[in-house]
Amino acid sequence: MASKNKSPEQKQYEKLEQKHELKRPVLKNCVKAFFVGGTICLIGQAITYFYIYFFHFTEQTAGNPTVATMIFIAMLLTGFGVYDRIGQFAGAGSAVPITGFGNSVISAAIEHRTEGFVLGVGGNMFKLAGSVILFGVFSAFVVALIKTLLQIWGVI
Amino acid sequence: MNQIGKSVVFSFVIVLSLFSLLLTGCNLGNTSEDSRKSMIQSVNPDPTAIQDEKGKNYKIAEKVKKDVKSVPAIFDVAVLKGEEQVLVAYKVKHMQRMHMKKIEKDIKQRLEKNYPEENFIVSSDYKIFIEVLELKEKMREDNNFSKEKAEERLQKIIEFQQELT
Repeated sequence: MASKNKSPEQKQYEKLEQKHELKRPVLKNCVKAFFVGGTICLIGQAITYFYIYFFHFTEQTAGNPTVATMIFIAMLLTGFGVYDRIGQFAGAGSAVPITGFGNSVISAAIEHRTEGFVLGVGGNMFKLAGSVILFGVFSAFVVALIKTLLQIWGVI
Repeated sequence: MNQIGKSVVFSFVIVLSLFSLLLTGCNLGNTSEDSRKSMIQSVNPDPTAIQDEKGKNYKIAEKVKKDVKSVPAIFDVAVLKGEEQVLVAYKVKHMQRMHMKKIEKDIKQRLEKNYPEENFIVSSDYKIFIEVLELKEKMREDNNFSKEKAEERLQKIIEFQQELT
């Protein structure tokens, strides 16, 4: 289509565009994401140990309250406007850990507040996070189904 | 300081104070020095037996500990021999944590082969390790802590170890 039969003007423009295009600092972004994401995970690990040490949780079960605490902290920071800044600086480093989930819920809620509480906040709060929850629940259901069947058949 | 800087500091203070409240408010557990230390270093606890009339149970616990400690991927072992079960809690070297399942299986097989008359509960969970240390400390310090109570506590730990959620 258009990409094959380009007019000389188009080709010239493409060259000009490439000359002026800003290079994305991919490596720098990766390093930033690595360190910020790592710091978030370090905090999560510290909270896990806190729950293991002071509460009635084993390494197996301490994951659930840790995730809840991390999401809670991220939600507070989003409300105060701090998490946006971390997100601008670190990109995927702040979006990939579970804290990014809390951020996506609260930022959508804040954004649509002017449209009212029911149709605005209620309707848009789970715009991004809703698909994450649905995907998680559904895939867990499928995996559990497969495991149950394998156990019934005596494979595992 | 500008407005944004102030709000950032303010929010950090709130989050930090909430978290410190959580930390201090819940710090009611009476923990021993050994279990506090065990988070960052190897404490090498002595093997213990709850019922120990002729020193036989203690000897078995000692042998089990030596046996488990000879596994190269492990760096700290706590053994507690109860009436029927032997609880073995261990810590795996950090770089070997990828093979945790295999190590657990190996240790269980090895112990069951070497001591066929004993019933082993094997765990790499850090919480179980702390619980064993705490029970050991309590048995040593508190003279009123009866053997029945210790056995009861051991059963609770074993039950706890099998919890999944």
